[in-house]
Amino acid sequence: MSNAPHILVIDDEPQIQRAVRTILTEKGFRVTTASRGEEGLALAATNEPDIVILDLGLPDMDGVEVCTRLRQWTQCPVIILSVRDSERDKVAALDKGADDYLTKPFGIEELLARVRVALRHSASRQGTQSKVIHAGSLVIDLAWHIVKRGDEEIKLTATEYKLLAYLAANHGRVLTHQNILTNVWDPADANHTEYLRVYMRQLRKKLEIDPERPQVILTEPGIGYRFISDE
Amino acid sequence: MTMRNSTFILQSSRYLLAWGFIALVTAFLFTLREALDTALVALLYLIPLGLITAFWGLAPGITSAFLTFLTFNYFFIKPYYNFTVHRPTDVVILVIFLVVAIVISQLVGRMQSSLAAATAREREATQLYELSTALAGLHDRRSIAEILARQVQDVSQGEAVELNITGMDAFVFRLPESDQPTRPPEWVVPIQVARGVLGEIRLWRAAPVLTSREKRLLQTFASQGALALERARLVQAESRARVLEESDRLKSAILSSVSHELRTPLSTIKAAASSLRSNDVNWDSAARPELIAAIDDEADHLNMLVGNLLDMSRIESGVLKPKREWNILSEIIGSVLARMKHLALEHRIEVDLPESLPLVPVDYVQMEQVFTNLLSNSLKYAPGKSVIYVKAFVEGELIHVMVRNQGPQVPQEHLERIFDKFFRITAADQVTGTGLGLSICKGIIEAHGGRLWAENVSDGLAFHFTLPLIWEGISPPSLPTDMETE
Repeated sequence: MSNAPHILVIDDEPQIQRAVRTILTEKGFRVTTASRGEEGLALAATNEPDIVILDLGLPDMDGVEVCTRLRQWTQCPVIILSVRDSERDKVAALDKGADDYLTKPFGIEELLARVRVALRHSASRQGTQSKVIHAGSLVIDLAWHIVKRGDEEIKLTATEYKLLAYLAANHGRVLTHQNILTNVWDPADANHTEYLRVYMRQLRKKLEIDPERPQVILTEPGIGYRFISDE
Repeated sequence: MTMRNSTFILQSSRYLLAWGFIALVTAFLFTLREALDTALVALLYLIPLGLITAFWGLAPGITSAFLTFLTFNYFFIKPYYNFTVHRPTDVVILVIFLVVAIVISQLVGRMQSSLAAATAREREATQLYELSTALAGLHDRRSIAEILARQVQDVSQGEAVELNITGMDAFVFRLPESDQPTRPPEWVVPIQVARGVLGEIRLWRAAPVLTSREKRLLQTFASQGALALERARLVQAESRARVLEESDRLKSAILSSVSHELRTPLSTIKAAASSLRSNDVNWDSAARPELIAAIDDEADHLNMLVGNLLDMSRIESGVLKPKREWNILSEIIGSVLARMKHLALEHRIEVDLPESLPLVPVDYVQMEQVFTNLLSNSLKYAPGKSVIYVKAFVEGELIHVMVRNQGPQVPQEHLERIFDKFFRITAADQVTGTGLGLSICKGIIEAHGGRLWAENVSDGLAFHFTLPLIWEGISPPSLPTDMETE
């Protein structure tokens, strides 16, 4: 079990620690827990975990601050936990380098899905980036710039393709509005969420089977978007 | 000094005028002396005496009475041109004349001064009346101070007035606002109530020195001001008390509603979890997945209840500030529908949004909440297999959204009240929910500057809301479209 992925959980609520530890251990992960920010940072430095699960509401310091300090020396994926109605904090943490988020209360399936995505992304950072993304009948070939549904090619404008390619390359992860605007458009356009909204609508019309009920590109309310692949 | 001189001149001129008038009348009567009886002359002399007292006051009147007594004796009583009197009747006439002249002067003079006093009192009363009407209904301490300062200035014609209001939120009001004299004020009067001093009025008026009557009037002004300030304080205290009472009432209403609502899912969870834990339910029993699903669903329901309560308390305390952005309505509705998929199995939801709908300046998360609540309300009350329509269109500078179901109608008199907290037409135990969903919608729509209402339609109930499309003076942006393909 020594090469099982190691997860550090930083949360001050013992019940959450207990539940998360029980389930993750059951699923074959190694789990370490911390209930304070400073303790969590120290454990992260000594144990070098594969994933950090971080609660934003810690008693001793702001979760966003923990996130910023982690990012100063490690690229390990950070999944943040927070309560509903704290979109601002979530966005702040995501923009400070957190990889994903979960809103409390969360289902364990969601947690495991996020952990899987995070592990895959830290693996792809080390070189094995998949170039063809499948989402239902949709196929996106990032190397050849081709988007197909079944055998039929879907025509996209330059901006639409750039947007889709960025989302697909980060499939499974939540991307904040600002992140997408900065990477697909220009850092100067980071506040023009309306661009994003309009292009997203166009893109969904071309990609989604029912554009009114999207299945491939999901809206994360108040945060951003997430591309759901088959993986 | 000049002041004293001018009063002296004024005073002496009144005497001179009075005496001059007597001299004139004497000269006139003298020409008729032979035709007139002595007694008649005495009577005629009384007329100018009355006039003099009426016009120039008591003192000139009395002196004129004595002067007339002398001229009458000298010119009209035989022997003429000396002050001796021979006939006893003349003595009687002279004495009666003197007495009558003095009495008339006294009477007229007293009447005169009481008239002046009455006029002054009337003016004071008018000024006080004006002040109290101006102060009536004012509950803002600054406006009270301003009115008071202006009235003091009007009445006193002083160079400057300053109102120094102490206590919590102390402030100073000055008239005129600039050019305050640097010397200390000539007169200071405290604004005082039984509870203590609320401030003071400072008045700069070097000359003329304030009379005791003016001081008395300004004292009354100060106490009127004190009453108004005290009233303002009480009104504020009362409205604070009312807000507290209201929030107290809300809290107990929440408690009673919530304890029922929270206990239902909790009982389900507890029952399901404990039966799973005991060995009553076999691992392969069909009841097992059902119990697990019940726990999961009820936990979600509890989460929604808590969320609603939080939203409501945020709306109540006024901290629900929409984080507006230009959004696409169809995207908001789309993600709500995607999330409510498993709840809307029995109903058909039809969405009719024109392609040309502009961007709307709303808070994405809050608008999601509005659609979620309106749709779940419709799903809850409308019968299975019925259709729920969602429609939106532009109406001038507004966007108009309608969510219409084929559920039961609401009695006309309750159409407004269904948006009240905890208002239910059906008994609370027949339908689950907090009774907060619609009032949260109303709170959110109103925070966006819009309006939400309900209307009975031929086959059901329709919710309508309108939202302004103009945000901070800006119309919905139209965006560049790129048509070039990859």
